[in-house]
Amino acid sequence: MPSRDRPTILHVDLDAFFAAVEQRDRPELRGRPVIVGGGGPGDRGVVSAASYEARAFGVRSAMPLRTAGALCPQGVFLPVDGKKYARVSREVMAILRRFTPLVEQISIDEAFLDVAGSEALFGDAVEIARRIKAAITAETGLTASVGVSTTRLVAKIASDLRKPDGLVVVPAGEEAAFLAPLPIWRLWGVGEKTRRALADYRVTTIGDLAALPEDVLARRFGKMGPLLRERARGIDPTPVGIEAGAKSISHEHTFDIDTADRETIEKTLLSLADGVASRLRASGVKAGGVAVKIRDSEFVTITRQRVLPDPTDLTEEIWRVALDLARPEVRGMRVRLLGVAAIHLGATEQIGLFEEGRVRRHRAAEAVDQVRRRFGRHAIERARLLRGEIPDPFERDPLSPPDARRAGRARPTEGGEDGEEG
Amino acid sequence: MKLSVVQENLARGLQVVSRAVSARSSLPVLGNVLLRTEDAGLKLTATNLEIGVTYWVPGRIDADGAITVPAKLFTDFVNTLPAQPAIDLELQGDTIHLRCGRYEAHIKGIDADEFPAIPTAGERPTTRVSQKVLKAALAQVTFAAATDEARPILTGVLTRFSGDRITLAAADNYRISVRTIGALDPVEETTIVVPARSYTELSRILADSDDPIDIVLAPARNQVLFHLDEGIDLVSRLIDGQFPNYQQILPTSHTTRAEMERAELLEAVRLASYIASASANVVKLSVPSDGAAAVMVTAAADVGDNQGEVEAKVEGDGTTIAFNARYLTDVLQNVDAEQIGLELSGPLSPGVIRPVGDDDYVHVIMPVRTAS
Repeated sequence: MPSRDRPTILHVDLDAFFAAVEQRDRPELRGRPVIVGGGGPGDRGVVSAASYEARAFGVRSAMPLRTAGALCPQGVFLPVDGKKYARVSREVMAILRRFTPLVEQISIDEAFLDVAGSEALFGDAVEIARRIKAAITAETGLTASVGVSTTRLVAKIASDLRKPDGLVVVPAGEEAAFLAPLPIWRLWGVGEKTRRALADYRVTTIGDLAALPEDVLARRFGKMGPLLRERARGIDPTPVGIEAGAKSISHEHTFDIDTADRETIEKTLLSLADGVASRLRASGVKAGGVAVKIRDSEFVTITRQRVLPDPTDLTEEIWRVALDLARPEVRGMRVRLLGVAAIHLGATEQIGLFEEGRVRRHRAAEAVDQVRRRFGRHAIERARLLRGEIPDPFERDPLSPPDARRAGRARPTEGGEDGEEG
Repeated sequence: MKLSVVQENLARGLQVVSRAVSARSSLPVLGNVLLRTEDAGLKLTATNLEIGVTYWVPGRIDADGAITVPAKLFTDFVNTLPAQPAIDLELQGDTIHLRCGRYEAHIKGIDADEFPAIPTAGERPTTRVSQKVLKAALAQVTFAAATDEARPILTGVLTRFSGDRITLAAADNYRISVRTIGALDPVEETTIVVPARSYTELSRILADSDDPIDIVLAPARNQVLFHLDEGIDLVSRLIDGQFPNYQQILPTSHTTRAEMERAELLEAVRLASYIASASANVVKLSVPSDGAAAVMVTAAADVGDNQGEVEAKVEGDGTTIAFNARYLTDVLQNVDAEQIGLELSGPLSPGVIRPVGDDDYVHVIMPVRTAS
């Protein structure tokens, strides 16, 4: 790996994000155990976020709400307000981008930054981390924990060590030593199955894994073997990426709990396709191809893509291809994350000879867009997605130019956050 | 079965029929060629159940009989044999014994009874058409048929017999090609849809001569049969369903017309297409208003841009329209005329191409909507 001589990679992670936003907006909830998820304690859903007060009772993310209710009967249970969290998330990401353009948002409440090029402006990475934390607190009333290291992998583990409001810096050259005493589950990419397999070799800490002979790892884990060993030593050559400008429009969703349920997977793809299609329409471009991204519970990520015979910006057409691409891949898999992307974007559209049907579908889609701009994302919904537990699609690339939000902002009459859904 | 045939004749016959062999069929016998003695010769038949092709090879028959043999093996073998002396074929059980000069082979076959029945001529032809005329018409029409099976009907060519006229029309989602030719015998109004693939095979068999080809309509059997006097039959299944009413789509008026040399426009579009292929394969045609003398053909993409001028006689309003370059090159390569007329009605309306002085052909291409 291109080894860095100093830590410049930051992982910024908002503390108990959903719960913190609720506590910020409702002062009476501060100091009380707040549990955000589904529709309430009787709900069959899972905990999306728990405030630190709730965590003291043993409440954790992805735990069934009923269990949380039993553990913490005095807890304040709140439904997920995806729209509000998405708005706050955008504010936070905007703060991060003041410090470097190299911001890679990896979920609604966390991002990687590479500040190597910003040190001359703002001071070293540790100073920048401090400034970011201060700015987030001052401007949004939330706290963030930050990890600083030479690699994404170590920075992410570091940010999680002293939550909330933590700042953990791992100096260059000390990555392996920093990781060694940590339990193996903290290592990114080690799922339940791998952990159990490693237990056979009495591996309980990351250091144990790093010390395993290479050939043992290769025999037991095949291609994953060398990768595990590298990770255990803090080696991660992945650079902090920014989304490639106008090259694609994508939405993705990480499940609270990994799922193998076909209906859930198909609905999620539909919801993601819907989000992508409406952003295509808002920015006046068509997708010449569709890509899907699938990550399983072991963190193995694959993407599959296909060129379309005819460019489109319609939900059904994108969904159908996404389904086609995803179906053979997800069979028997516990899916952690799904993504749908419109690729090969272009502004041209071949007009068809026999297109009355398509023209009508187009008009319907445009009418839906208008309703949503005026009355909000959920004012009108596909029947199949009603009563689903699928939250709003998370926008993967809020910076890219073909963006619904920009189109929305350009028209003041449609301003306001309701008009901002992608 | 015992006979002898000339290598050249057998090789030619196998070449013709083997186009109909289905190499990857679940029915092994469809990978075979049927050999059957008939009319003092050897009749070769192959089919993939969509089309069946029969070819009669003259020969000396000593004993009648029939067998099927693996098409590729038999064809490769016969192709490589020397032209002299004649090939002797003798059936021994299920094996054909082949002898040609110093060479001898045994090739295992499958019983002829397992081969599907392929209807051949013998019925009175419904009508006849000049081979040359039909061949030219098919070349101008079949390329426009759809190749994907999303709408099966569009993979066919509408073939309408009406009196002494035959109209052939093919369309995919973005273009339509219509050609009318004369028939030698009048026919009652009948419309069938023939798979474009069948017509492509028929074209290979047709000669550039005025000799007629017999057409036998058997809509009741869902088949059409073509017969050539030299002993070739091609039978094709028909596609069920309603072909879209293309006449509704053919524009009846235009606001701009530009007359150009076909070859010049083709050259300009080809040049532009090399640039266009880097993006959405879109070329733009800018037609100035009355009196001007040139149409501009342009393309722009990340790799660069290009523009070309095509001499033209323009009538009507100036306009600009964008097309997929491939659709333009397809029609310009296949239309049989020195001069073509391009008729337009604005940037989002269909473009019409007609050969100048020939009212029996029309081609329509839908434009591409561009951002600028």
